Amino acid sequence: MILQVLAKYYERIPNVAQEGFQKQPISFVIVLKKDGHFAGLQDIREGEGRKKRGQPRLVPKAVKRTVRPTANLLWDNPAYVFGRVKPDTKKDIRKLVQRAKGQQALFLDRIKSTFSGNLADEGVAAVIRFLETAECEKIFDHPLWSEIEESGGSISFQLEGDLELVCQRDAVRSAVIRNSKSEDSVGTQICLITGNHDTPARLHTAIKGVWGAQSSGANIVSFNLEAFGSFGKTQGYNAPVGNKAEFAYTTALNALLAKGSRQRIQVGDTSTVFWAEKKHQIEDWFADIFGEPPKEDSDKDNAAIKALFTSPETGAESVLDDNTKFYVLGLSPNASRIAIRFWYAGTVGTVEQNMRQHFNDISIQHGRSQPAYLSLFRLLVSTCVQRKSENIQPNLAGDFMKAILTGTPYPRTLLSSAMRRIRAEQDVTYPRASLIKAVLVRNARHYQKGERKEVGMALDLNNKNIGYRLGCLFAVLEKIQEEANPGINATIRDRFYGSASSTPVIVFPHLMKLKNHHLAKLENRGRAVNFEKIIGEIVDDIKDFPGHLNLDDQGRFAVGYYHRRQDFFKKKDADE
Amino acid sequence: MRGSPVRSNDFRLMVWGRNACFTRPEMKVERVSYDIMTPSAARGMLEAILWKPAIRWKVTQIDVLKPIKWELVRRNELGAVMSPRTTGLFIEDQRQQRAGLLLRDVAYTIHAYFELTDRAGEEDTVVKFTEMFVRRAEKGQCFHRPYLGCREFAADFRPIFNGQTLPAPISASQDLGWMLYDIDFSGAQTMPRFFRASLDKGRVMIDEKEVRP
Repeated sequence: MILQVLAKYYERIPNVAQEGFQKQPISFVIVLKKDGHFAGLQDIREGEGRKKRGQPRLVPKAVKRTVRPTANLLWDNPAYVFGRVKPDTKKDIRKLVQRAKGQQALFLDRIKSTFSGNLADEGVAAVIRFLETAECEKIFDHPLWSEIEESGGSISFQLEGDLELVCQRDAVRSAVIRNSKSEDSVGTQICLITGNHDTPARLHTAIKGVWGAQSSGANIVSFNLEAFGSFGKTQGYNAPVGNKAEFAYTTALNALLAKGSRQRIQVGDTSTVFWAEKKHQIEDWFADIFGEPPKEDSDKDNAAIKALFTSPETGAESVLDDNTKFYVLGLSPNASRIAIRFWYAGTVGTVEQNMRQHFNDISIQHGRSQPAYLSLFRLLVSTCVQRKSENIQPNLAGDFMKAILTGTPYPRTLLSSAMRRIRAEQDVTYPRASLIKAVLVRNARHYQKGERKEVGMALDLNNKNIGYRLGCLFAVLEKIQEEANPGINATIRDRFYGSASSTPVIVFPHLMKLKNHHLAKLENRGRAVNFEKIIGEIVDDIKDFPGHLNLDDQGRFAVGYYHRRQDFFKKKDADE
Repeated sequence: MRGSPVRSNDFRLMVWGRNACFTRPEMKVERVSYDIMTPSAARGMLEAILWKPAIRWKVTQIDVLKPIKWELVRRNELGAVMSPRTTGLFIEDQRQQRAGLLLRDVAYTIHAYFELTDRAGEEDTVVKFTEMFVRRAEKGQCFHRPYLGCREFAADFRPIFNGQTLPAPISASQDLGWMLYDIDFSGAQTMPRFFRASLDKGRVMIDEKEVRP
């Protein structure tokens, strides 16, 4: 289904490449007079310094390069166009020169063979004349030559006065399309994407822009070792995909993955693209909600989430009735191949509803300066070492995203990795607390069908769960210590959080004794009485400190601690 | 001429397992499964219980009994073909880690019948093979363990006889696109055959008229 839907998406994208063509960054354009004389050289790269890169232009589809050299039609790198090599001291210069000479001959041959017979197009004629005569030597004296040599970027040709490249002229277009049809002689077969008869593609266009894959691109449909073939078939014939469908799905996917595309996000190590069956606003805010937010620009992702929450109020239609299909595809590289990490096909209505459910689940009381809703990225990095996206557990991001989209319980590993970070850093942060709360709430809804009361948004004095109660108690004990010793560096949290949340019986009796000393130190007696009251309320029906808390209860401990602590801050806010 | 019909009655076989991977040909290296069992996988399942040159199994319908769930697994697979001339291949050198998007927790009911082929002898009758299949399936006998797409996903099975209630399929309906029907070995080159699969209230009807050569 994946390729089918992608091929269908191709019909939707405007001004995209025709069959036989593709978008390719071109760095330099050689401008020619009609008689083949050199007229000038344009550097069309964008960017600064070392980051300069070519502009994407429509050119005849690139050939697949293997050990055997093959030339592209009317565009290529300097070695092919001019037969000049980048000096390399490690290799034998004579061999390199010889190779480059061969490459240049191939480049010229490719042009000549494509337009064999009548040279109807003056642009092509000019290029051939330019390459065949000493005219092309002029380029080596040009001040930009050293940069061309250095960058190795792609070069193409243009006629003086023309706006398009030579390879974009009508005569070239029709020749390319004619050629792409008669390319294979294997006969037609049924295409497994469209179900129509078509010539199967032997090699598929590389997919570029998958994070971590080779920069030259990688393939989804690829049989790059003999072991992958069946029934004596080679390469793409193992999975007959017609040329038309192959072109459509690769072009569509490349467009989705392109730099600056609004329809791709990086989720952990997975490059994720998403699209709807037809143009839909969800395509615009999906990236804002799930993507990596611009640094410190929390307004932007909040705006998108606000749009999500208010859309049913402002829009007349109910989102649930929106049956537009919506697709999410996660890709990650494995050598020169691309593996499908996850695939989700649903409707806009259910996706919106599930996303809203997710944001309801993760919302928890927080400080005034913190964003109301946390993006997927912020939640995920809170579970890993140094809060770096590359440290996110490999499968976690994809599983998490899928759970959000389908409305199923969050992955188990989410809870355990959040807990592990809390224990390692002795810090219950806002994202972690909200993550743990979300996991607990969702599990309760899913497995217990709301029979038991779960943790809420803010402090809940009636919650009788032992983990939750102990979490609250721990927060109070810490607060007492802080007030008894203003400006203290390390509190009981730094020393005891881990064991308090897992094996309370070992720590709490000691902490309760310690508390008495702290209370004695408080100067404000009223405050001390107040604290005693709070503690009394919490421990009221705790008979024994349990020997051990299970993972869920440890999660409730963290949430209880977080709630109680937030509540102290809230009071302070109100006093001011 | 034989006195008995060449086509058997319909059989129903329920199969289930922890995992399944009915690999799509276009993504068979970094495997991605089809959403449901393919007819050729179902045929393989029946052939594991009973296969003779005299009969040919035809799958007519597959019921999906559990919601379609996915699981991503990385597995070690082999990345080389052993040459006939070599004395062996050391797997540690040829190991490759490959991703697989598999199905999880699956169960299907296969509806199928068999036909007698040209290779059926004088004593081969439909009744004979029907009895054989029923006997074998009831006892859980098989030539090799039936599997769900890949050998490592072994399947459990039980026959459902006339009079027994069929397990209810799921309620989902969706288009599944072009799906592999089977491989055609009759020509000079083996050719895959595809058919348009669609899930209709948990059932996939397999009509051979729809299969495209």
